[in-house]
Amino acid sequence: MFDRLSEKLSSFRSDVEETAEEQAEPVEDSAEEETEETEDAPADEAADAAEDADLSLGRRAKSFVTGRVVLDENDLEGPLWDLEMAMLESDVEMSVAEAITDRLEQELVGETRTMLERTGGVADEALREALLEVLQVGQFDFEERLRTADKPVVIVFTGVNGVGKTTSIAKVARYLDHHGFDAVMANGDTYRAGATEQIREHADNLEVELISHDQGGDPAAVLYDGKEYASAHDIDVVLADTAGRLHTSQGLMDQLEKIGRVVDPDLTIFVDEAVAGQDAVRRAREFHEAIPIDGSILTKADADTKGGAAISIAHVTGKPILFLGTGQGYDDLERFDPEDMVDRLLGES
Amino acid sequence: MVLDDLGSSLRGALDRLHGTSRLSEEDVDEIVKEIQRSLLQADVDVSLVMELSDSIRERSLDEEPPAGTSARDHVLRIVYEELVALVGDSTDLPLERQTILLAGLQGSGKTTSAAKLAWWFTGKGLSTAVIQTDTFRPGAYEQAEEMAGRAEVDFYGEADADDPVGIAKRGLEEAEHADVRIVDTAGRHALEDDLIQEIEAIESVVDPDHNLLVLDAAIGQGAKEQAAQFDEAIGIDGVVITKLDGTAKGGGALTAVNETGSSIAFLGTGETVQDVERFEPSGFISRLLGMGDLQQLAERVERAMTETDDDAEDWDPEDMLEGEFTLHDLRHQMNAMGRMGPLDQVMDMIPGIGGGLMDQLPDDAIDVTQDRLRRFEYVMDSMTEAELDDPSVIGQSRIQRIARGSGTSEETVRELLQQYRMMDRAIQQFQSMGQGGDMQRMMKQLEGQGGDLF
Repeated sequence: MFDRLSEKLSSFRSDVEETAEEQAEPVEDSAEEETEETEDAPADEAADAAEDADLSLGRRAKSFVTGRVVLDENDLEGPLWDLEMAMLESDVEMSVAEAITDRLEQELVGETRTMLERTGGVADEALREALLEVLQVGQFDFEERLRTADKPVVIVFTGVNGVGKTTSIAKVARYLDHHGFDAVMANGDTYRAGATEQIREHADNLEVELISHDQGGDPAAVLYDGKEYASAHDIDVVLADTAGRLHTSQGLMDQLEKIGRVVDPDLTIFVDEAVAGQDAVRRAREFHEAIPIDGSILTKADADTKGGAAISIAHVTGKPILFLGTGQGYDDLERFDPEDMVDRLLGES
Repeated sequence: MVLDDLGSSLRGALDRLHGTSRLSEEDVDEIVKEIQRSLLQADVDVSLVMELSDSIRERSLDEEPPAGTSARDHVLRIVYEELVALVGDSTDLPLERQTILLAGLQGSGKTTSAAKLAWWFTGKGLSTAVIQTDTFRPGAYEQAEEMAGRAEVDFYGEADADDPVGIAKRGLEEAEHADVRIVDTAGRHALEDDLIQEIEAIESVVDPDHNLLVLDAAIGQGAKEQAAQFDEAIGIDGVVITKLDGTAKGGGALTAVNETGSSIAFLGTGETVQDVERFEPSGFISRLLGMGDLQQLAERVERAMTETDDDAEDWDPEDMLEGEFTLHDLRHQMNAMGRMGPLDQVMDMIPGIGGGLMDQLPDDAIDVTQDRLRRFEYVMDSMTEAELDDPSVIGQSRIQRIARGSGTSEETVRELLQQYRMMDRAIQQFQSMGQGGDMQRMMKQLEGQGGDLF
């Protein structure tokens, strides 16, 4: 995931560097050899193209140490546009991409650097901060939170159809088991055909108790029973599944609100898929409105090399991405690490 | 619906051209920017967006608009043509004996789509069977079985087997009698090599007539790679877009279609097996551009009429073709609407009501509109035959009389007349867009099959 954005981000850095370089150039030229300027410039470019970019940059940086660089809107317009396109190509939602480029522009415009070689560093730093700010939002220690909370901890999973809520619940059950928590599953998906069979098989495989009612029953009642069962049997965590629903289905969203009221979950986790595009923001927002979410799981991260949905969802909900689903096995669940992610985005690890 | 926002923002941009006859580069840039924005927000692949918008820009500036064409119509035509070229035709699925293989990512809606497609083919008079080969996902068998039950079609699957290829083979033998055999597969993504090999193996056993890729409308830029890989593995003949009842725009489907050189086959618009539509490109694009979708509407009318066995009247749809759209026609459309399902979906298809007007409506306006339609009904009940035939005879004094007679207000009568004029204009426009041929065929067909019902 994130491979392609990473490429584009490094090209954003070099674009800003180049721009800064171009700015610095006339200062040198006019100071030294005014008359030859027109002849020199094309020769320089040709040399540029032939040489390895980094090498040429290093040399040039040395020769232009005296050049002063002030970035203005015009310098940034091109690189920022490219960056925005790169983010869109990576499925970052448009308004989120715009927020990030706006922030970068604010940070970078007016920045003055006498040392040319630092310009790339400035862009880099600003970009790192902007991304980290989005991805790091509200991160908390998941295990610590479970450890200190009153038991049983009820975790409700929400999301649209087919994103992988049930599979994620199975993976989280395994994760909890590895971290010394026991769990019970409660099947609040009383709607979809095959839902009970699906979660029962996971529960059996993982040797976790499953509370479920008949298809068509009241999901809130099932989840309530799950909580009662956990209390009675001294179980740490209730993993509560809900039926997938589109945020446009008012009746089902009302039902979700009811679940929120009746069950009063300790944690609500929104599940969405890494392959989701621009719509991720809208549904994250609407699910957040129905039951306020505490964090998200991004599934199918192994199917996607872009991962902009992580940025979009974190940005719009202001809540952290907690886990990434990375495969079909029960162990294919990774803790989401924002710093690590930004490093990967910027190609530094 | 697919690319919803493109319609409204495009109309916004194009409306700015109202009244101008010459296009400036600035105008074109503005429109092209709008188009890019909406396509990107609809998840269409970035490079595809750039290609499309470049060619719209170029053609808008280079091509000389035919004499007498306004700048707006000139651009509209180019946008229309470019979109048609991109979307192409609907996947050709003749109503005959065939085998269809469904492929796609986990959770894209293959199993639900299998049942929906089965229901659709059954509705066309073909016997259909669904064969479930997903041995991986727990509950897949039960889900498929139950969905097939809801669609009232035959079902084959093996609850505890773990050999998809074998199931496919036995399923096809078992379902030999069915005209249409739909093979559902486990979800997989393009980067899972072993699963890609598995579907290749299934494909070679099944030897399907059509491979359909099932895509979630919400899929982002990843659609391109997924489509390309599935195409390479088994060859994709068509795309089924699911979950279009959400807010996602399904632009990924355009990317997929472009990538695989295939076309869109079906649209999934809800959770029940009946929520499926055959994709109709010309209708789709005219709906997109705010000209309504008469073809879809006609099909729904036809269905509604068949279902309710409406009392026979001699409504001649040919009249609409000749450009003689009368209040009779409007009334028939409105009458049938109540029986055609969700009003907002239907409204979107009516020229003049769909598109531009829909955009101005707040989301909860539909109930109000339902009310309004009822009032229109009263108004038309108070009109004479002559007035219904030729609304242009209705002047101020007749408006007063009709308003009094129907117990509504003069304003309502004027609104109705306004509505009528908008639709009339839209239909003229529709014809001049070169859709006459299609319409003619559609109307003929309608007349042939269900003419006596009207």
